[in-house]
Amino acid sequence: MTDFSFLADDALVDALIMEIAGLLRRLIEHGETGAIDVLGLPLSPSCVASLEQRLGHAEVSARLDAAGVSEIHETGFPGVWWTRHSNEQGRLIAMLIEVAFVPEILKANIADVIRGAERLPALTNVALQARGNDVALQARGRRAAA
Amino acid sequence: MTQDETLGAMLARRGFGRRGLLKFAIAMTSSLALPPSVAPVMAANLAKAKRRSVIWLSFQECTGCLETLLRSSSPTIDALIFDFISLDYQESLMAAAGAAAEQTLREAMAANKGEYLLAIDGSIPVKDGGVYSLTGGRSNLSMLEDVAAEAKAVLAIGTCAAYGGIPKAYPNPTGAVGVEDLVSNKPIVNIPGCPPVPEVLSGVLVHFISFGRLPELDDRKRPLAYFGTTIHDQCYRRPFYDQGKFAKSFDDEGARQGWCLFELGCKGPVTHNACASLKWNGGTSFPIEAGHGCIGCSEPDFWDAGGFYTSLAGGSATGWKNAGIAAAVGLAGGAAAALSTRIKTPLEDAPASPPEKTPPGKSPPGKSPPGKSPPGKSP
Repeated sequence: MTDFSFLADDALVDALIMEIAGLLRRLIEHGETGAIDVLGLPLSPSCVASLEQRLGHAEVSARLDAAGVSEIHETGFPGVWWTRHSNEQGRLIAMLIEVAFVPEILKANIADVIRGAERLPALTNVALQARGNDVALQARGRRAAA
Repeated sequence: MTQDETLGAMLARRGFGRRGLLKFAIAMTSSLALPPSVAPVMAANLAKAKRRSVIWLSFQECTGCLETLLRSSSPTIDALIFDFISLDYQESLMAAAGAAAEQTLREAMAANKGEYLLAIDGSIPVKDGGVYSLTGGRSNLSMLEDVAAEAKAVLAIGTCAAYGGIPKAYPNPTGAVGVEDLVSNKPIVNIPGCPPVPEVLSGVLVHFISFGRLPELDDRKRPLAYFGTTIHDQCYRRPFYDQGKFAKSFDDEGARQGWCLFELGCKGPVTHNACASLKWNGGTSFPIEAGHGCIGCSEPDFWDAGGFYTSLAGGSATGWKNAGIAAAVGLAGGAAAALSTRIKTPLEDAPASPPEKTPPGKSPPGKSPPGKSPPGKSP
């Protein structure tokens, strides 16, 4: 019996490409981001590989170490990102095609930015010297007490 | 942690940043079959969420459900979700005992009236007034009625709590039933399985904590995202089923090639659960991957639904007649004998089917009776 399953795979890949094209139009026209949950679709590994190969790989790649490794790369189509999230044991827990100018997970969060801005002046020479003086004074105090 | 600490603060204190929480939310939305666009909302809601009180009652059970939910190999966010709930009463885990434990239960109920989640593992015996399982002199039936009355929702964890499970198996000497047979005025989520998949409970909890409501359920009150498809639909051996390639015994060439275990009694085609996708032991494998058919443990009355090695089409696996007889002799001794027979019996010498476990005249719901093909393609 002839195996026609590859035709089903091709049809799924074509449908997904058209969906991505629709999400890109929404991003361009309305600035709306979108995503496709690849793991949530009944795709065979060969179908996923075919889709990833067709979308290609551009110059931007990112690796994230947050509760396990995440690998993100921009496909050959600007604004279309392929993201793989693994947990602490290296198990793949999510695979998304994100349509956005920058994937949400790569953006710095405003609360984190504010906390960082508060911490940053501590790196200046003045601050480091002041801290060094404090440490020296504390050490001197401990020696005197001993 | 304090009662007022948010989940975001707790995770940050334990080294998980905002991106880790967003990633967890992305995985959870995928797991719960929610649109990926919901993930940032879920992450934001989780970060702000406060601890939820959970009262856990154990009735006629083996503690396997609790064991599986407590076993975590590493401090993943999934595991920390369990730290985040305020488990105010659990007899096996709490330090208090006797009157002090009962006082703790009353205080937790009063402090969180109408807001706590009630988790149940184990079936409830109702025969003879429920005298077959008591805690502090109170029947499980009485405790369930009392504690469920003030709960926000009830989680029936494991097949025993959901449908009665093994205590309900024929001849059901204690009159065991599941939670939904007794509680009708509260939202109930059934998380069946013997034991249940831990990630399903964390998914239900995350949905409840982040959106303040329970996830979508199927007609058996199971979370649709995890129980919407059968094991068979997600099984990596499914292509062999479609090609008509079946293992005929556990050590034939088909078994070695990883062919479909349907003819060896696999209940995957009629069993709804997430084992094939979430797997077990941190995603290592699941029973079919280890070479054994699904026994359908998350379906009602699975213990009475025919032999584990009787195919859903009514045929029987070769090499299991003697094992089946041994299993009928006595549960413990039979299990050991079944194992030893499996090793010793020459496969070509044992042609007939093992005895049916289903009592006469009883046709368990959701199961194909012998002689009928399962849904989908016939082998």
